[in-house]
Parts: sequence; C-alpha cells; structure tokens
Amino acid sequence: MVGRLLGPRRARQLQRFVRNGKLTIFCLFLTVIMFRGYLGAGKFGTPEKDLDDIRETLSFIRNRAEPRRVLEEALISGQGGLKSAENAGAGSNNYAAFDITKIFRDEDDGAEEFNRDPSQPYSLGPKISDWDEQRAEWLQRHPKFPNFLREHKPRVLLVTGSSPKPCENPVGDHYLLKSFKNKIDYCRLHAIEIFYNMALLDAEMSGFWAKLPLIRKLLLSYPEVEFLWWMDSDAMFTDMAFELPWERYKDVNFVLHGWDHMIYDEKNWIGLNTGSFLLRNCQWSLDLLDTWAPMGPKGKVREEAGKVLTRELKGRPVFEADDQSAMVYILATQKEKWADKVYLESAYYLHGYWGILVDKYEDMIESYQPGYGDHRWPLVTHFVGCKPCGKFGDYPVERCLKQMDRAFNFGDNQILQMYGFTHNSLGSRRVRRIRNETSNPIAMRDELGLLHPAFKAVKV
Amino acid sequence: MGSEGAFSAQKRSSGALPTANAAVNGGARGRAAALLPRGRQMHKTFNNIKITILCGFVTILVLRGTIGLGNLVSSEADAENQHLTKETDKILDEIRSDKDPSDPDEAPVRYLSLNDTFSLGPRISTWDEDRKVWLEKNHQFPSYVKGKPRILLVTGSQPAPCDNAIGDHYLLKSLKNKIDYCRIHGIEILYNMAHLDKEMAGFWAKLPLLRRLMLSHPDVEWIWWMDSDAMFTDMVFDIPIAKYKDYNMVIHGFPDLLFNQKSWIALNTGSFLFRNCQWSLDLLDAWAPMGPKGPMREEAGKILTAYLKGRPAFEADDQSALIYLLLSQKQWLSKVFVENSFYLHGFWESLVDRYEEMIEKNHPGMGDERWPLVTHFVGCKPCSKSGDYSVERCLRGMERAFNFADNQVLNLYGLRHKGLVSPNLKRIRNETAAPLVNVDQFDIRHAAAHHTTEPRS
Repeated sequence: MVGRLLGPRRARQLQRFVRNGKLTIFCLFLTVIMFRGYLGAGKFGTPEKDLDDIRETLSFIRNRAEPRRVLEEALISGQGGLKSAENAGAGSNNYAAFDITKIFRDEDDGAEEFNRDPSQPYSLGPKISDWDEQRAEWLQRHPKFPNFLREHKPRVLLVTGSSPKPCENPVGDHYLLKSFKNKIDYCRLHAIEIFYNMALLDAEMSGFWAKLPLIRKLLLSYPEVEFLWWMDSDAMFTDMAFELPWERYKDVNFVLHGWDHMIYDEKNWIGLNTGSFLLRNCQWSLDLLDTWAPMGPKGKVREEAGKVLTRELKGRPVFEADDQSAMVYILATQKEKWADKVYLESAYYLHGYWGILVDKYEDMIESYQPGYGDHRWPLVTHFVGCKPCGKFGDYPVERCLKQMDRAFNFGDNQILQMYGFTHNSLGSRRVRRIRNETSNPIAMRDELGLLHPAFKAVKV
Repeated sequence: MGSEGAFSAQKRSSGALPTANAAVNGGARGRAAALLPRGRQMHKTFNNIKITILCGFVTILVLRGTIGLGNLVSSEADAENQHLTKETDKILDEIRSDKDPSDPDEAPVRYLSLNDTFSLGPRISTWDEDRKVWLEKNHQFPSYVKGKPRILLVTGSQPAPCDNAIGDHYLLKSLKNKIDYCRIHGIEILYNMAHLDKEMAGFWAKLPLLRRLMLSHPDVEWIWWMDSDAMFTDMVFDIPIAKYKDYNMVIHGFPDLLFNQKSWIALNTGSFLFRNCQWSLDLLDAWAPMGPKGPMREEAGKILTAYLKGRPAFEADDQSALIYLLLSQKQWLSKVFVENSFYLHGFWESLVDRYEEMIEKNHPGMGDERWPLVTHFVGCKPCSKSGDYSVERCLRGMERAFNFADNQVLNLYGLRHKGLVSPNLKRIRNETAAPLVNVDQFDIRHAAAHHTTEPRS
C-alpha cells in the first residue's frame, strides 16, 4: 500500500530503511542490556537488581504483614534447618547432609480426647474466681514453698522459650543457646528460677500469643511463685548486677516497660513492650489474661482484631492482632478497671530496644559500671525485629548477629570477671585473664561483688 | 526481551548483525519469495533458521549473564532461600572462624615440652580450713540448705557455633533438659562457654574450670560435672547424697572393669560429683599433668594406651588419665565411690530403644536400667561434622530421650508428646477450676514430699 502511494522504488527504499532501523534499534538494545549486565550502568541498575528489587518489594509487602516483634511460630511448617541435599543414607555419619525433620512424626491415633469445644467462644480454660483463696490455703499447707524468699524478695519464675523444631536459620539455635545461657547466669545470681518452654500448648494461640496459655498454665501449676517474669528469647541481660526494685511493686500486679502518657493519652502501639514483663500470681492476673486472650485465636478473629487495633492505636501498621497492641488497647480503653494495678516502668530498661544501645557499650564501659539498669548500663537489651531463628528479619542479618554477640559478651564479661577473666573484646569469643591465680583464693574479691551478692543471700 | 530477538529474526531473513548481506534482504518479501526457485527457497529457509538459532543463543547468553536464570524454574522462595543461605553462610564462616580481627596478633602457640611442668594454679594446702572460716563468717551463704548439701551442676560447650546447625539445636534441648531437672531438685546450674586455659583444651577443659569454680564458690558443697551430650531421663530420681558423706568423688563405673581388667572405659568422666575440699584440689593437681596440649599429651597418650586394656592409640584423654591415676597411686581410691547402682551415666545405645518398654513396665524414680537417670550420647558428637555412630540413630535417640524426659515435666501440666519423636503435644487431662489438686499429685517436688503415688509418665 505504501508502494502505491510513493512509487515502487521509493517504497522499497523506505522499507529497507525501516528494516535497517529496526535492526539498529534491536542491536542497540542488546548492547545496552549487555553493558548493564556486566558493568552495572550506575543509577540505572542491572536487570538482576531489578529482579531483586521486585522480589524485595513483594517480600516487604509480605513482611509488613508480619509483626515487628515476634515470638517463634512453634509450628513452622515443614522445612527443616538447612535446605539439605539428598540424605546420604541411614548409615551416614555426616551431620551436615541430614534433614532432622525426617525424624519428627506424631505417633498417636490422632484422636484428641481433651480438646476445647470449638463451638464455644475462645477461653484459656475454665473460669476460676477464687484463685487468691485457693492459693493462700495451699501456701499455708506448704510452708517449705514460701512465696517470699526473704522479706521484700518474692519468688520469681523467669519464663522464656522457643520452638521445639530446629531454627530455619542455621545459626539461629546458637544464638538461642547463648541467650539462654545469659538468662541462666542472671537468674543464678538473683535466685530466680527459670522455665524454658518448648511446647505449643494451644494451636489456636500460636506465634506471640502462645505466651498467654503458657503463662496461665504456669501460674496455676506453681502457686508458690509470686511473680512470673516473661522474657522473649531475643532479649538478653546486659546488667548482671541490677536487682529489680521489688519494693516498688508491692502494690501492683503487672509491670511492663513503657510510658503512661503514651498509653493513656496517645494510645501509641509501642507505648509499652510485652517482650519483658512481670505478672503477679493472683486472681487479677487471671482476669487480665482472660480479657487479653480474645483477640488472639488464629484466623478470622485475629485478622479482624488486627483491623480494630490499627484503627484505634496510633502508628500501628496493618497486620493481624498481636499481644502488645492488644494490651495497649485494653489499658487505654479500660483504664478504670486495670490501671491502678499496672506499673509502666521507665526508670530502667526492663526492656531496652537494641538499636539505641548496642553501639554505646564501649562508652558505657568507660564511663559507668554495672548496677544502674538504665541508659547508663541497660538491664535488658532486646533484639526486637532481629528474628535470628527465622528466615526474615526486619534488619540486616549481619548487624543483628554481630550486635547480639556484642551484647552477649557485654553481659558475659560481668560473669567472667567473677572468675578473673574477660573477653578479649566485645566482638571476640576468646577470653583472657584479668586477675592472677592466688594461693589465697578466699581473700580474692570480684569487683562487682557478684560471687556472693546480697540479693542471693538465703534467709538465715 | 529474548522473544524480541527471535521474533525480529523471524520477521526478516537477515541476521541481527548489522553486517547482514544486503542481498538476503530481498528474500523477506513474501511475493518475491514465491518467484524464486525451490532450491533457493530452501536455502533461504535454512539461513533463516540458522540466524534464528544464533539470535536465540545470543539472547539466552545475555540473559544468563545479566539476570542469572541458572535454575530455569527458580521460584521466588527458592531465590530467597539461596540468597539468605549465601548471606548467612558467609557470616557463619566469619563467625565460626577462629580468627578475630579485634584480637591482637597472637604469638604462635608454644606447646609445653616434656621437660616443663604444668600446674593448674598456685598450690593451695589449707582449703578445708579456709572454707570453714569463710562459711562461719558468711551464714547467709550456707553450704547446706534444708538439710541438703548445695550442688552446682556444671556443663558447657564450645563458644563458636557448632559445625552443623543441628548440633546447636541439641545443645539447646540438652540445656533445657538439665534446667528442668535442676529446677525440680533445687540444684544450681552453670553453663560454661569460655576456654579458661588454652593448654587444657578439649575434654581437659573441665579441670581448670572445676578448680576455679571450687575456689570461687566455697558455699558449694558438691560440683556435678556433666557433659553437654548427656541428658537426664529420670526427672524424679534424687541423688542419694547422704550415701556419700565419707567420700569426695562419685563416679559411675564397674569395679571389675577397673581393678581386674584395667579397662579404659571402667569409669566415665562424663557425669561425676566432686566435693569442694582440699582432697579434690590435690586430685586435680595430680590429674592435670597428662593434659597440656602438645608433646605432653601425646606422650601421655602412649603410656595410657600401653597401660589400659582396649584403649586405642590417641592423645591422652581425661577419663583414661583418671583411671590410670587411681590405679597407679593408691591413696585416692578410699575416697572415690564407684557408683553403679543407678545410671549416673547411662550409655545411650542400649537404652534409647527401650523407652516404650520402660513406660509400660516401670515408673520414674528408679534411676537404674529400668528407668535411667542419665542417658549419655557418647560418641555421637552432634556439634562436630561427624561422629562415631550413624547420624540418624544418634539424632533419633536424642530426640527420643529428650521427649521421654520432657513427658515427665509436662505431666504436671496435663500434657505429653504425641510419641517419642514428635514435637507436638496432646492433652491428657482436662482443665479444671481447682488446679491445686493436680499440683499436689503431679508436681514431682510435692509428690515426693507427700509420699503419694509416684507420677506415671
């Protein structure tokens, strides 16, 4: 048709020109692509980066749907620790190639005998209304298990935990182990008992909600415990000398780190932190747990509750209901009922966000000493968002792990100095001597007085 | 983009390269092609195909180079996995490597020669008196609480991550297991992750640690060393500590193997009790000389292999050295209790398959072969790359032992595992509004005190 308009020769020329043009453009395009791929054309990026970007955006969208601070999903589906190659055979002696999840198997007939009736609204257990009386009577009958170890020193049970299955991240279990050792050290010094949970008590209350049925179960099973101290597995003690001011809490039942004005005035979703808190063993606490639980059950309930919380609380992103936001909501909306027995502690770091603390450890060592518990020497450094056990965290893996090592060593130095050692540096696993052995060990004093501290003394 | 190359190649018979022969251009026009003879048409088609293939090839090369479509069906999850694995592997290697950038340049390790003498520390000779004085001055830190001597359970592992992830997972479970037993029995626990003495590395590391702890904690009466690969499997059994009031060391072993056969496995130093006293310090001093890394340990290993029955040839280990010491220096044996009435150490291979049988026929609290106190996974070495036994057998055994013990703890909460290899739980008792009745019946500490029926696992 073009030919009829312009004449045969012109038409042919035009076609040839167009064809050449197409050719040229195509070759140019290929060349540019190749250059991008091999040299990385500066701010235009490379196709690999494009794909990475796309992947990142998709996963970011997915991640934002996940909560910021997370307790381990106890039922992580399927995939074991390492993406393993073929199992080298049952007779193999090599651990690296073995997939542990092959061993896990339920060996019962699957029939659940004692299960919750799903048609009923969710509840943590049968309603108990006289727990204070039951407990008082029990304590009277068991004088060998008093709820106070000394005057002003209550019996405390520290509760933490993780999944019974190996971490998806190959180093995750190592950091759980170190974090556990860190807690054991603090608790040994402060005469606190530890319970490490690896059980998912209730499949409906999964993830960060799993602590609610656990806490209730422990309160009821250990009536001699006066305070239950919940602590996330990603929180570490960094001040071994700081003893909690129990006297301050004698009239309250629930102690969390947070600020009154951020909860009651602003309804800010991070106005408190449920990664480290104290809960007294009493009827009030059981009632609080019952009030707290309804937003937790997995599925529609949690999703809907999440929407309510995002709407009501300041600064909360869109994701399913988490226990922290739910607590903020409860305290802000039912202030008259609960607030008088809740203490929002901000005088020391019952929970200390790691981001603002970990770079200052060397400064702290230079200027202060253990025992303050606050910004000068934080009691707890909480690695919110790092998720060393899972696959996706909110922060770069390297920063998280290196800083967790530093926080661990920072706390561990206070333990090692009792025995005359210290880490070579905050980043080093190696230790060196800081005090020579002596032939008169009784006279040796550790600087911090942690070997035989007052808060560990037995009632005489 | 790739399809463009092939597509545009199909649109013209000429190649993608600018140096295409102009004469070939003529064949693209369909009408003209029909007028050409068959042969030339085939030739042209053949050319087209060649060029198409060439373009396709170039396109794929370029794509591979730039986007890295190595795995043609790699999903987003796989890519994430690979990316994460690569990143963490890199960090892992850094973490696991012994090099530490902040450490000052260490002088090359100089091992002690055979002429040097090694000592764990300055000689102490008045420890019993010193300790007594200290206890008298510090009544708030007594060595006996509620009539029972204070015990400190000591265990530990290497400071670096294990060579495989699964090793750390079982260290974690093993520690939880020990914490559970210690909480029930009022024992304190210390987990060591520091190499206190570079020369006494490996299994010898426990010697300087024990000495240090004894001297720092005069209020501790007994130190119980336990290997990280040993697990408690009887949560009810209480060590009959009163039985040992005249002894200073309690270790699992067989007198026959020890005295008659001089076997290198006559005793097991994976789980033993050590009193905090002068005798123990002296024993540690006598035990230590075979330990220092290097020629001393090598030579000592040869002596031990020659002396003890069945010992393979390798460097000196603490267990063989202790047996040798007790047999060659007679003054120690009078204070050593060789215990085999219960499994202070229980070799795992003959135990892990019998747990179901034990559940059926026996009950916790026996501590012996009917319900072992400790199941010790000697030789499994899950923290190393490989062990002496089949990996599957070891890990399955460890999981079973852990759950077997965990069931005894969960019993209080009305839960148990759905089988000895299952991490999942099932309820075995209804929730109740009067939980304290169950507490009295099922809490091991209270059940023992009240002499009610021992809890069945």
